[in-house]
Amino acid sequence: MKHGLVRLRELLDRHVVGHDDAKQALLLALVCREHVYLEGPPGSAKTRMAEIAARGASLGFFFYQMHRDTRLAELVGDIVLERRPLADAEGERIHQAIEPGGILTADICVLDDISRAPGEALNVLLRVLNERKFGERPIPLLCAIATSNPLRDEYYNEPLDPANLDRFALQLRVSGLIQTGDRAQARELVDRFADGSVLEQPEPEAVLSRAELDTAYAALARIDVPSAEKDRLIEFLRRLVVDYDCNETNSLLTDRSFLVKAVKLLRGRALLAGRARVERGDLAVLSQMTTFRVPEEVQAKVPELIGEITA
Amino acid sequence: MTGARIAALCADLHARFPGQEDAATGVALALIAREHAYLEGPPGCAKSALAHALAHASGARSACLAFHRDASAAELLGEVRLRRESRVRSERIAVELALGPSASAEVLLLDDLSRAPGEALGVLLRVLGERRLGERALPLETAIATAGPPDLESYADPLEPTQLDRFAIQVRMRGLVGARRFALARALLDREPGPDAPASLDTELRHELQRRAAALRLEPAARAALLRAVERLAAASGSEPALLSDRAFARAAPAVMRAHALLRGAERVTPEDVRALRFMLARRMPEALEPDIGAILEEAILADAPSDSSTPGARPAAADRTGAAPGPSGGAPSAALPVESLEARATSLASVEPVAGARGGDDSASVDPLLRALAGRLERGAVERGEDAGGSPRSLRRMRRLDEILDADPVDALLLVEGRQPGGARVFRRERRNAGGALAVLRDVSASMEGRLARWSGQVVAGLVRVGARRRMRLGYIEFNHEAERFASGGAFFHRRYRRVLSLAQRRRAEGRTNYEAPLRAALGELRASSGRERHIVLLSDGVPVLGDPAVRSERALARRLRVKVHTVFLGSGECPAVLDEISRETDGLRFEARPGPGGRLTLRERR
Repeated sequence: MKHGLVRLRELLDRHVVGHDDAKQALLLALVCREHVYLEGPPGSAKTRMAEIAARGASLGFFFYQMHRDTRLAELVGDIVLERRPLADAEGERIHQAIEPGGILTADICVLDDISRAPGEALNVLLRVLNERKFGERPIPLLCAIATSNPLRDEYYNEPLDPANLDRFALQLRVSGLIQTGDRAQARELVDRFADGSVLEQPEPEAVLSRAELDTAYAALARIDVPSAEKDRLIEFLRRLVVDYDCNETNSLLTDRSFLVKAVKLLRGRALLAGRARVERGDLAVLSQMTTFRVPEEVQAKVPELIGEITA
Repeated sequence: MTGARIAALCADLHARFPGQEDAATGVALALIAREHAYLEGPPGCAKSALAHALAHASGARSACLAFHRDASAAELLGEVRLRRESRVRSERIAVELALGPSASAEVLLLDDLSRAPGEALGVLLRVLGERRLGERALPLETAIATAGPPDLESYADPLEPTQLDRFAIQVRMRGLVGARRFALARALLDREPGPDAPASLDTELRHELQRRAAALRLEPAARAALLRAVERLAAASGSEPALLSDRAFARAAPAVMRAHALLRGAERVTPEDVRALRFMLARRMPEALEPDIGAILEEAILADAPSDSSTPGARPAAADRTGAAPGPSGGAPSAALPVESLEARATSLASVEPVAGARGGDDSASVDPLLRALAGRLERGAVERGEDAGGSPRSLRRMRRLDEILDADPVDALLLVEGRQPGGARVFRRERRNAGGALAVLRDVSASMEGRLARWSGQVVAGLVRVGARRRMRLGYIEFNHEAERFASGGAFFHRRYRRVLSLAQRRRAEGRTNYEAPLRAALGELRASSGRERHIVLLSDGVPVLGDPAVRSERALARRLRVKVHTVFLGSGECPAVLDEISRETDGLRFEARPGPGGRLTLRERR
């Protein structure tokens, strides 16, 4: 089972240069069934990574470009009118129904430019994503990947409201290899396109199945989380709240994310590393949770803080 | 026997939701008292989980309504269908409502209540209150609503306390991390999510409990204690608005007290059941008083007031024994309540301006006059509603594109589909208030801005953020002394991350000398690059500029050209520099000054 996950990682490496953090987060999200929020400039391989992961894991993939008029109806399939004959009289009854599609049938979905959609409309969508239920009907969705451009021109963009942002357990800032000034990786990227080893439209082979992911998910609960690591997690939160003044006004340190989901993600890290117990190094994942949940100047210090706690 | 079951249910909820005991007890009380409950708290603090757990444990038929912007009352209660019936020589098309699961629910969960538009909510809340839908009585026993805190960045308008009065039980929840309860948080990590325990009640047991609670005798001493508690709560809230309505305290409170007595296994309702009022006050009393409420209730329980206890004599007690049914016959001595004072307080909170300075300390002035004036100025540009795809449906217009059929009036859509209305159907027009605009706040942090001046300017900034947030304006924030420091967010100077500016407003620093040119130039440079009609600058300062161009001539010219309004606020006891007046006058901005008055208080007035 872990073999399939390793192969998926190799597949991602083969098709996308760099972006170690984002690849790691993607795998983690697939294993833990959590959602990911990626913020980065256009053309920084956000969608490409998601698509390759989906194809490589032979999952149903749904891509939607969000826009200002986005309504939930566009994402769930086709809205149709159904006509049925009346039982008690001559005539018919007409009601609205949904032919499921979009997020209702996909295993993995990419919601591009999520901040362009009207914030109020997102609320329902994100609830569906979170509960993995539409009405009373369960949906097969494993993970949703939302992308957003940095909010430079905020005329059309609105930041996600806190309740919506909290639905994305993993949050990352990505940037293009050229912008980060990583010359070696930028060079490799150019080379790969130049010699044709990267395809514009890759058709990656399936290296992992949904069944393997289901097995991995079931295995998560069996991964041991030592008491010392739980203490460290609490110490991390205590330091953020007490030393860095993170409070309910300026931060989003919710119980749901940091007392429930964080433990799951720690287990996911251990599982991806092929271990049966969480180690202190796994706490690094916390910095992918705090990205947009604490003030920017605090986030800059989070890796250092994790370093201190795990020293 | 049944009493033991509900106590076990309560204990189970306490064990499963450590740190949320008040909310757990609150919903259990609501279930027994057949009252509705409202849980308010930040995202991810187990509001919905708790509501679901109660619904499950109670063994009730339950349904969950997820509220959203477009929620309509009809959709919440069922599904709208068209019925087309063939008659001999004609056809009849009728709209019918097929009731959904919510109409048959005994426990109804209302998730994210505050996201629904007011009009849908009004209808729904009435249905909840009456437990009737048209001619049909609903089996509804209790509805549990959850909502986020009235927050700056959520897109919903906060619910009015008057709307919330239908919810007898109101509890405010906090996250364990947010409330710094780290020991409990640590204990939570050790808990592995287990399967739900089997329901500990069923419909028969619940009804039995509800009947028994309703039949409990409410001792005269308990009534007297209830009255004392309400009086004390009213007195404690002072000038702050509180919502102590007759509905809540004459009708619902006795029911809640009976439930409380039942829950603790008592045979009668005694003064100590006044403690149950604690679970009713989250949105009825000012939040700042929350820590004192326990003490206020205890005083009311203990205070021995013989005149009170003799007033409700044998008559109400007798009525109580006969009228044991739940509901309005709760037997409370409503005639003895100080009705005038209660009604006076029951006015909508929305009409009462928040008293910003009231609990900020002895020397803080109220920033309200400034905020009100500024809000009025911003409002001018935003009064007209504009058509917007993100708005809520209100009126009808002709359809323009086929995909608008989703928004079409159902009958029209049908006629269109059948080709009988080739001109297109009428669709709901979606509108919202024209939001937007940009507001740059320039705050003087030179060396003289210390102590209460700094505190006060922080308050003004926080107030401005709230004014801007309500209009969804983009904010920019600059602190200046001899130089201007811009605080961008996500790479953008103007942004809608209101919390960020709020946290900056709390900072105190005072160093350097004053320069108006640098901050104005920086702000105008940003405004020049931004679009929109409503563009404002608020300049807060306590001194005369000693660096840069003291008359800021080129900045004034630029502001005029860009039609940016510059509002100025002068703080302190010195002479207000003439340049501030000139800037505001030239750009059609407001002018304010705040001076320390007698007793060290700052008083604010508009300069004309």
